[in-house]
Amino acid sequence: MEEKDRKKHRKKYSGPKADKKKKRHLNDLGLGDEEDARKRNPKAFAVQSFVRMARTFHRTQDLKTKKHHIPVVDRTPLEPPPVIVVVVGPPKVGKSTLIKCLIKNFTRQKLVEIRGPVTIVSGKKRRLTIIECGCDINTMIDLAKVADLVLMLIDASFGFEMETFEFLNICQVHGFPKIMGILTHLDTFKNNKQLKKTKKRLKHRFWTEVYPGAKLFYLSGMVHGEYQKQEVHNLGRFIAVMKFRPLTWQTTHPYVLMDRVEDLTNPEDIRVNPKCDRKVSLYGYLRGAHLKNKTQIHMPGVGDFTVSDVSFLPDPCALPEQQKKRSLNEKEKLIYAPLSGVGGVVYDKDAVYIDLGGSHAHQDEEEEVRPNHELVQSLISTHSTIDAKMASSKVSLFMDSNPLGSEDLESHGFVMPKEEKQLDLKSGRIRRKAVFEEKENSDGESDEEDDQDEEMSEDEMAGSDSDEEGDAEEGSDKELPEQEADPRNVKRLKREETKEETVMELPAFADSDDDLEMSSVEEGETGLDESNKETDEEDEQESDEKESSDCDSESADKKLGEPTPCETSKESKELRGNHKQGLNLDKKVFSTVDSGNCTAEEVSESESESSSLDEDAEEDEEAEELHRKRVQSTQEVSTLRQAKLKAVEDDENLLKEEEEYEEKTDFSADTAGAVRWKENLSQKAAHAFLRQQQSTPNLRKLVYGTVAEKEEDDKDDGEEELGGLFHVSRPDKESKLKANGLDCSKFAVEVPQDWDLEEVMSSIRDCFVTGKWEADKDAAKLLEEDEELYGDFEDLETGVVHKGRPAVEEDEAVSEEEEKEEKEPKAEEEEEKKKRLDKKRKLKEMFDAEYDGGDATYFDDLKGEMQRQAQLNRAEFEDQDDDARVQYEGFRPGMYVRIEIENVPCEFVLNFDPQYPIILGGLGNSEGNVGYVQLRLKKHRWYKKILKTRDPLILSLGWRRFQTIPMYYVEDHNGRHRLLKYTPQHMHCGATFWGPITPQGTGFLAVQSVSGATPDFRIAATGVVLDLDKSITVVKKLKLTGFPFKIYKNTSFIKGMFNSQLEVAKFEGAAIRTVSGIRGQIKKALRTPEGAFRATFEDKLLMSDIVFLRTWYPVSIPAFYNPVTSLLKPAGEKDTWTGMKTTGQLRRERGLRIKQNKDSLYKPIVREKKHFNKLHIPKALQKALPFKNKPKNYEKKAKLSKDQWRPAVIREPHEKKISALLSALGTVHNYKVKKAKLKHREQLKEYLKVKRKEEEEKFKRQKEAKKKLYRIIGQKEKKRQKSSLKGSAGGEK
Amino acid sequence: MAGQSPSLSYVGCNFLRQRLVLATLSGRPVKIRQIRAKEEDPGLRDFEASFIRLIDKVTNGSRIEINQTGTTLYYQPGLLYGGSLEHDCSPNRSIGYYLESLLCLAPFVKHPLRIILRGVTNDQVDPSVDVLKATALPLLKKFGIDGESLELKITRRGMPPKGGGEVVFSCPVRKTLQPIQFTDPGKIKRIRGTAFSVRVSPQMVNRIVDSARSILNKFIPDIYIYTDHMKGTSSGKSPGFGLSLVAETINGTFLSAELASNPQGQGAAVLPEELGQNCAKLLLEEIYRGGCVDSTNQSLVLLLMTLGQQDVSKVLLGPLSPYTIEFLRHLRSFFQIMFKIETKSSDEERKGHFKVVPKLRTLLKQMKATHT
Repeated sequence: MEEKDRKKHRKKYSGPKADKKKKRHLNDLGLGDEEDARKRNPKAFAVQSFVRMARTFHRTQDLKTKKHHIPVVDRTPLEPPPVIVVVVGPPKVGKSTLIKCLIKNFTRQKLVEIRGPVTIVSGKKRRLTIIECGCDINTMIDLAKVADLVLMLIDASFGFEMETFEFLNICQVHGFPKIMGILTHLDTFKNNKQLKKTKKRLKHRFWTEVYPGAKLFYLSGMVHGEYQKQEVHNLGRFIAVMKFRPLTWQTTHPYVLMDRVEDLTNPEDIRVNPKCDRKVSLYGYLRGAHLKNKTQIHMPGVGDFTVSDVSFLPDPCALPEQQKKRSLNEKEKLIYAPLSGVGGVVYDKDAVYIDLGGSHAHQDEEEEVRPNHELVQSLISTHSTIDAKMASSKVSLFMDSNPLGSEDLESHGFVMPKEEKQLDLKSGRIRRKAVFEEKENSDGESDEEDDQDEEMSEDEMAGSDSDEEGDAEEGSDKELPEQEADPRNVKRLKREETKEETVMELPAFADSDDDLEMSSVEEGETGLDESNKETDEEDEQESDEKESSDCDSESADKKLGEPTPCETSKESKELRGNHKQGLNLDKKVFSTVDSGNCTAEEVSESESESSSLDEDAEEDEEAEELHRKRVQSTQEVSTLRQAKLKAVEDDENLLKEEEEYEEKTDFSADTAGAVRWKENLSQKAAHAFLRQQQSTPNLRKLVYGTVAEKEEDDKDDGEEELGGLFHVSRPDKESKLKANGLDCSKFAVEVPQDWDLEEVMSSIRDCFVTGKWEADKDAAKLLEEDEELYGDFEDLETGVVHKGRPAVEEDEAVSEEEEKEEKEPKAEEEEEKKKRLDKKRKLKEMFDAEYDGGDATYFDDLKGEMQRQAQLNRAEFEDQDDDARVQYEGFRPGMYVRIEIENVPCEFVLNFDPQYPIILGGLGNSEGNVGYVQLRLKKHRWYKKILKTRDPLILSLGWRRFQTIPMYYVEDHNGRHRLLKYTPQHMHCGATFWGPITPQGTGFLAVQSVSGATPDFRIAATGVVLDLDKSITVVKKLKLTGFPFKIYKNTSFIKGMFNSQLEVAKFEGAAIRTVSGIRGQIKKALRTPEGAFRATFEDKLLMSDIVFLRTWYPVSIPAFYNPVTSLLKPAGEKDTWTGMKTTGQLRRERGLRIKQNKDSLYKPIVREKKHFNKLHIPKALQKALPFKNKPKNYEKKAKLSKDQWRPAVIREPHEKKISALLSALGTVHNYKVKKAKLKHREQLKEYLKVKRKEEEEKFKRQKEAKKKLYRIIGQKEKKRQKSSLKGSAGGEK
Repeated sequence: MAGQSPSLSYVGCNFLRQRLVLATLSGRPVKIRQIRAKEEDPGLRDFEASFIRLIDKVTNGSRIEINQTGTTLYYQPGLLYGGSLEHDCSPNRSIGYYLESLLCLAPFVKHPLRIILRGVTNDQVDPSVDVLKATALPLLKKFGIDGESLELKITRRGMPPKGGGEVVFSCPVRKTLQPIQFTDPGKIKRIRGTAFSVRVSPQMVNRIVDSARSILNKFIPDIYIYTDHMKGTSSGKSPGFGLSLVAETINGTFLSAELASNPQGQGAAVLPEELGQNCAKLLLEEIYRGGCVDSTNQSLVLLLMTLGQQDVSKVLLGPLSPYTIEFLRHLRSFFQIMFKIETKSSDEERKGHFKVVPKLRTLLKQMKATHT
């Protein structure tokens, strides 16, 4: 520290301070105001080249537009759900350590074991849910779909592993969350240069995968098994400020990452059938879009379900309330991880669980300290105290009785919690649920109540005896005087009176005895109605009533279910003391209320299974359903109605009338004897309708409130049977008539007004432009105002000066004076002020419009539009409380919800493993349906094999993972989808499969198997959904072959291609071809043989030709859709899910060989010798031929006759010798002759040579002689000529 | 698992169209029981059968099961397909009956819908094609369903009982619908209308126009009523005449009213003057009711709001018609969508009609439409 103090001062070079100093310095130099170089030296900044200028401008614009994203409406809720941080990486890379370090960094707590998601508060406005992702591909796929931020751990000493790339690829397909790489194991490098090199290499590889410049963090080394504090801190700060772009799939679907699961199944059902379907409740923060009740959801790894109930709970890990300080204090650094056993108090709908860290907590003092601390911390940090929470929670004692709040119990003083041990199946921890024994009224009272209580429903009545038993037991337990509950009784009595009053109004109803039984449900209902109307204070109770009736049986079941395993130990372990002490001692469950109810049922159930409960089980269910609906509807109605009552007292009468009317319609049908109600029913209804309309009725009730009732009526009818044989026939009610009424959207006018009357006419006169306008829209007024603004101006062309109206100015002057006169709160002044403000605003708007108008781009406009819409969305339901809001918009993201699901396979509960994330993904409309889906698919370039059509493949699409059988195809140039046997190597192809309908444009990935670890890359293919269809367009080529059996010129008759005339008829005119390439056309079917036809070709066929017809045959796609139920596998085997195997796999496993087609085998080619027949020339032809060409008739020599045939001569040895000698002599002679011949030939050659030479010489000589001779002759001739010339010349001369 | 979403069950044939349309849009199967079970001739009628056939044409892969007597209908919707279609409507109901549902479906089909409907164009029961053209199409435009191909053309007029009319309807497809904030109807700036007659004297039309003007002129001078006298093949098979009026406000609200003569051979003859006057009064009644959407299109606007994006839309309606009320309930059961309904308090003296008739402001939030 001292060293730090002594640190040398560093001069600032940037920042405001530095700027200031620089300015001062410049001022000192006398250049103060010329620090702007552009001003100082304008020439340097002048345009040098227009081209370059244009280019730079272009470039900047390009860069600017590149930054734009398509603006989306900001739908993030005001209080966003925790950011999901997924820590991913191959094993032994340090994931858990990092999570622990991060948690410690944010919360100063150390978690020993982390299972499932951990939610922490990381800052004033941000919470994180950190979850670890193993390298099971199922987990990786699921978590990639929900992740907001991925921390990708990479072992630097090893380099990248396949898991990393697989996860990156999964992310790419399902929308790319923010990814941050973290290099660990950097301390293993001894050589610094090596380290640097590795870092750089890994960084660049990471960048190519994610994006250039993606953040890569380095965790340099471990200190005591943890990462360095400063580094983790820095990482935490990075996470805390990170921004996320919304991903399409995530923002359009609600989803929940579960952090807590409870089994709510009736233990009796489990006892009877341990494999029965379970009912579970799942807890978690809702993210993405709004979730509606009763919608379809998908649980990856389990299957599709319909939400049976959703409710929101107080936030277990709430953000700190608005504070102005910079950092969180210790109290606000919350942590919530129920699966890891942290988080202290857990509030359920009707119970509070306190976790004190295992059954051995009390033994180990050392250990106890921390959990205790945690607990206290969490108690302190929750914004409402436990008492407050308890006060607000309520439970009903009986099925339909009014729920009890803590206010009812307050007078009881302290209450002893009973504890019920509950074995947590998964963790092996024993949870003890503290149940407060409710101090009940005495039996007599409760019975009395039962009698009076109009709310008692049918089933309640049936089960009342069991209740009584329960009450009896309660009676023994109770410690408090009966009077405690008196105020409530009084209240009730009061209500009873009012109810009776209303009943009196309906004498007909009261008379009919038989109806009392049948319509007791309805009675109770109306009772409810009335009571609601009367008392405000019962509002809350009412709401709980709804709740209780909602899940009466379930909650009871739950209550039963939890304690049963340790029921016997219940009493003995009962702890007495006030609950603050209890907190320290052990974990407890505070069930504020229900105890009475549940114990009663417990007893009754354990005692006699043949009790009325069982008998009426079916009835109860039905009745309950009805009741629930009814209560729900009335509850909605009543709350609204109360509000109205408070506001407008006048309306009360009207409402009462309505009420009456309601009841009348309700009971008119039920009271068979009361004929008068049926009279003019429709007329009355019409009147009532009119009246409702005219008296500002409660439209919500009108629209939504009456639906349930009508349905009920229908059901009632169905149920009423006498002895199961006769049906109670009732006259048709109005609703019945309506059910088959005329389907018309026109809104007929029943009682038109008399439009001839002047006053009627004047009532709508202002609806026309010719009528009066509102103050702010009246043209004249607007003009006036404008004049005020633009009052003074000078027309420059004409030089006319227009002046604003002086009166206004005076007004202003006056107002100014008034201002000076100091503030006297006068109404006028206020008005003036307002006016002025208005004017100012207008001016400002005008200025803004002028100033920004030119600048605003399309993008800006779009963004503005989105902004406005977002604001509107936020504002619309802001003022309403959550209960009401939930009904309109569903549960909004950011809420902590509890989702109940029924019919969950028991393996989900039995094999639950918190290490594997449970996700609930909401499905959109029709996403729960199945059909044919077309994809564009590309085999992953790193996957080693190619994919085969009709081999099962596991796809991850939407929320789901499922196995299906895709068929691959390629689109031909004419739009035909031609089936492929295998996917192309490096090309996209189409694929069609039968599976869940998912919106177009959704990405998917395929793996061949999710089980086991293969060293190879596991992602087989990726792609996108192209189209959804209910029909298939994939075809494969089919060649039909036939053979000519009769050939004319160009016409041939072909057989063997079809089987019937009909088939041929279908293909008339089709193009056919022979193997040799002669094209033709099918003409017409022949009668015989069946299926033969006449066809024409462009040339004559040969009988040996094969004719074929090329057709396209639609492929049927196997309707195989098998969700991957990996979460149902036993713990430890969750990554071993195998579905359908490929034929190849099966063959390999069983050692089956493919039966090959013999024809396809290669064999040595054996060519037979061609044998040609003798040429046969007909006799006639032979005769005509000239002799030369005539075949010479060498007659075959006839067989030698016996006499001509001579036997072989066998020589004597002497003779042999002679003949040998003779032949030897002959050979010698022959040789001599041959030799002599050769010699002679040689001589002859020689002689000819000589002769030729002589000849040549002779020829030469002759030539020479001839030459000589010719010369002489020539000379002579010359001479003669000369002489003759001379002679003639002499002669002439 | 992952099969069909649970089916909804209803009783009676009323609101059959709504149920089938919503089932198609939401992808949920629907079962309707006891269709006229207690009547003399039970089961589905011709026009309903024709409607079901139309739905079948528009969709791909729907499964429709009707029992022997026609009293029970099971409909498992396929995918909305669209394309170029033709349909012969039953003359028992007018084309409006079919067109109303098509207006709901058309923006969400896969291939832009272009359909020729044949049958009765105008009758006394259903909203006529003229009215739908004048009111429903501008409404679609407000949601961004716009363009050249949004068209509704009457090529032939046909009156009941024999029909013979022909209508061409085409609608573009939009990926998303814009949210609307339509709470100010504005003041009426003009009134337009169409008076038509087929196979009767052309004089009838003029008489209708005169009588209607005589009433409406008291309120606003800008009135123009087109006369449409069809001849030859384009006049259908039965005689008749009628009038439809539309009031347009400065904010683009269209309020309509219409009347048609009695079908041939049914009821007493109607005087054209009377018809004109009554129709004008109906328009005044509609104006009196107010709202930004007229009463026939209430359900359409609510549907489009439901299927729009996940944003708040607001619309001001007049008193809800029974059909709309039922539609709202159906929207809840099919889409789990509840509207926030506010009743607008009576305004100041200026707008007389507001004083008497309550206004509803219907707000919708959070609707996701995944149309596949």
